[in-house]
Amino acid sequence: MAARVLQQCARTLARPSLRLSSGNLAFRAAVAPAAAIHRPLSFAADSRRTRWVGQSRIPSVGVLCRQYGDLPPLTIETIKDRVMYVLKLYDKINPEKLQTASHFMKDLGLDSLDQVEIIMAMEDEFGFEIPDAEAEKLMTPEDIVQYIADKKDVYE
Amino acid sequence: MANPLRAEVVRLYKNLLYLGREYPKGGEYFRARLRAAFSKNRCVQEPEKIRELISRGEFVARELEALYYLRKYRAMKKRYYEE
Repeated sequence: MAARVLQQCARTLARPSLRLSSGNLAFRAAVAPAAAIHRPLSFAADSRRTRWVGQSRIPSVGVLCRQYGDLPPLTIETIKDRVMYVLKLYDKINPEKLQTASHFMKDLGLDSLDQVEIIMAMEDEFGFEIPDAEAEKLMTPEDIVQYIADKKDVYE
Repeated sequence: MANPLRAEVVRLYKNLLYLGREYPKGGEYFRARLRAAFSKNRCVQEPEKIRELISRGEFVARELEALYYLRKYRAMKKRYYEE
């Protein structure tokens, strides 16, 4: 008796959920094209990701299957852009004087504390920690780009 | 440059900067004060004096931590008890 009641319960529970999921599928299929149209538009507003959108538009599934932790693939170029962007935002650096080869202390007139702050900004930007021993050798934007590329396994 | 205590000082500075981000008056305010404090002693050469200053910096770091704990418990108390 108990088994029968249980079975009944299970059946009634299973049915609506089945219907729901099939309806869900249909709904998703209807929405998917709209989403596909919308996505690239919203990304295009973000100028730092435009390069990536351009790449991912080629395979049709790529845009729909984007994962939450997904980031645009790193290349030497994007690393360099991001490093220079962070440096330009640092208040003591004059953006006009900034070159990829300029030395933080000799050319830009910063001191070692500024250099520590720059390294901290890079850690925030790229999301990994740079040990102090390595950090004190990074004296030009070029060095930083090279170091990050090495750590993230990016090669030309 | 070759001073063995340099790494120590840099580590302390970094640590204090991280802690200072949460400072009630704002991270920017704290950063300016921290920099002033460090550059005031930039010409100190004697190792004992440097060690003394480093331990003072560590004391400040501990005080900051205590301040944050206090702030946290005050906020919690405010929310749970009406007074």
